[in-house]
Amino acid sequence: MAHKHDPNEKVVYVGDSRIRRHNNVNVPHDYSAYPGKSEAFIPNFLLKEWMVGVVVLVGFLVLVIAEPAPLGYPADPLNSSFIPMPDWYFLFLYQLLKYPYTSGDYLVLGVLGLSGLPFISLLLAPFLDTGKERRFYRRPIASSLMILSLVACTYLTWVSWHHYQEELRINEVTPEHIKRELEAEEAVKKGLPRPVPGKEKIPAMVASDDPTFTETMKEAQCISCHGAELQGGNAPALRGVGDRLNEEEIANVITNGREAMPAFKDQLSKEQIDQVAAWLAKQKAEGAE
Amino acid sequence: MDHKQQQDTAHKPAKRKEMTRRQFLSYTLGGAGAFMAGGAILPMIRFAVDPILQKKEQGAFVKVIEESKVTNEPTEVKFKIHQVDGWYESDPQLAAWISKGDDGKIFALSPVCKHLGCTVHWGGEDPNKYNCPCHGAQYTKDGKNLKVAPKPLDEFEVKTDNGWVYLGPLEPNSRVK
Amino acid sequence: MFKNMYNWIDERLDITPMWRDIADHEVPEHVNPAHHFSAFVYCFGGLTFFITVIQILSGMFLTMYYVPDIINAYYSVDYLQHQVAFGAIVRGMHHWGASLVIVMMFLHTLRVFFTGSYKAPREMNWVVGMLIFFVMLGLGFTGYLLPWDNKAYYATKVGLEIAGSVPYLGEYIKELMNGGTIVGAQTLTRFFAIHVFFLPGALLALLAGHFFMIRKQGISGPL
Repeated sequence: MAHKHDPNEKVVYVGDSRIRRHNNVNVPHDYSAYPGKSEAFIPNFLLKEWMVGVVVLVGFLVLVIAEPAPLGYPADPLNSSFIPMPDWYFLFLYQLLKYPYTSGDYLVLGVLGLSGLPFISLLLAPFLDTGKERRFYRRPIASSLMILSLVACTYLTWVSWHHYQEELRINEVTPEHIKRELEAEEAVKKGLPRPVPGKEKIPAMVASDDPTFTETMKEAQCISCHGAELQGGNAPALRGVGDRLNEEEIANVITNGREAMPAFKDQLSKEQIDQVAAWLAKQKAEGAE
Repeated sequence: MDHKQQQDTAHKPAKRKEMTRRQFLSYTLGGAGAFMAGGAILPMIRFAVDPILQKKEQGAFVKVIEESKVTNEPTEVKFKIHQVDGWYESDPQLAAWISKGDDGKIFALSPVCKHLGCTVHWGGEDPNKYNCPCHGAQYTKDGKNLKVAPKPLDEFEVKTDNGWVYLGPLEPNSRVK
Repeated sequence: MFKNMYNWIDERLDITPMWRDIADHEVPEHVNPAHHFSAFVYCFGGLTFFITVIQILSGMFLTMYYVPDIINAYYSVDYLQHQVAFGAIVRGMHHWGASLVIVMMFLHTLRVFFTGSYKAPREMNWVVGMLIFFVMLGLGFTGYLLPWDNKAYYATKVGLEIAGSVPYLGEYIKELMNGGTIVGAQTLTRFFAIHVFFLPGALLALLAGHFFMIRKQGISGPL
């Protein structure tokens, strides 16, 4: 070392400032009041803590690899069939605000009283529960309020999730992120590139002056969902549908409907359906060039 | 001698071959820490360096001008290429100065100055040279750097087919020794 | 060489006592899972911090690809998830980590509550801890909007409607968070700024306070 200091020297000069040199190692807190063995934070205790950390990390990575993060379709403010759901830890709040005394005229009560107050009392818990006693069974009021809230939150979350599942079932809706994954899988299986919603290239229309399109399909109001140019809207694009389905399958969908699409067997005659199906089956990407 | 060294020597009175308990714990702690840091950070590092590891796509050739219109005098041609930049697709316009060399071969130069990246043009105040408006760099018709710039102008790969000239990706100038 | 470098710095800044204080303090037996297995409940705080660190790191890396813009946000997320190597992993870490951090923090809060550890003299640390809880919920809420898919859009709309129902101030809060009257381009940039700069800044400050107080007051004693 460049400088030799007397180890007993109390003050070391650095430039013109003074830094006090401690010669006594920091005196740790006295835990002799607690029974049992105590041990140093590093390395003894931290090692045990990190063992737990390693286990959690491995579990976490397994989850991450097994279950990809969901991504639905691009936000569409006109989408009326989407069932909105917040992240799971807000579900209890979402459900709470659906009840008669927490919504409508009572929304203020719901938002401030039933949601705001518990949070504020949780924040101020140490000033509300001021007794010396620490054991939870000797603090019946605080503990029972907490347990009650836990039960309520669990129940509300469960009800909300259950309701969501029911709605999905009734409306025959598949959550978007799952639907999207299935679509991508299907496309990849067919050797097509993975579709990116909203960036698909829709092929041009084939035989657009055919009376099947200009008259029959106009009367049947196909364009109100599938778009005036059949480019898609609330329902999928029909340009290029011939690449996905054959004539028979298309006729079947028109006759009996599928998912959100109603059946047209009462509005269109058998011949009309066959005409439309034949025309739609011609809608292929290669024919559109 | 400071107190840390004092302490170290005080704790290790004699050199022993086997590990002390403290050392063993420290190494295990270091190992566990390295595992946690690595498990969390390595995927992110791979994620971040992905652009340099992705395969570069070969640029396609673009039809720009009829062969018969190329003269010994450089002319500017503008053409569009399709560019995919991550999630962003665009068709930026590029420019090239195209002419026939003394050997009769068609070549196309990029107008990006090799000095600091301004755009050069043929002729102007100093005819029969490429002039750069920024710092006065000059190049010959073949793209040879005359002053200021350290390197000759880059060249587009050229292909002729059926009376048309096609331009491909940029490459270093091949006409100047 | 490291030793010499360390000594050189130590001589000028006297850093030894700082880390010695952290390294050498004694940890009592009743929080050590190696002595009593039931003491694993004392691990949740540390695990919350560990996941938080993962969140901060993965978030920093995600912004290398993400753009907070309503036209490109969705496509940049799609790109980083499907076209970039390990993109699904890094985004997965951030997505699932967000849930895990809430779970861990929740368990930590319950542990502190049921062991009565928030009582004097640790009231302030409880309040800071609850503020951390709210900041985390805020991070979850603002982060949800960023991919700009239908789920993000409608959940944010509902959330802002709830904020708008607060008496007197509601409409102002809603418009301030919207950055206008609709959920759109300005909402997204606002939420991005809050998610990436404001709340993490607040979080780090609160965490520093939390840890400082733990170190100062020590762990609460056994029951």
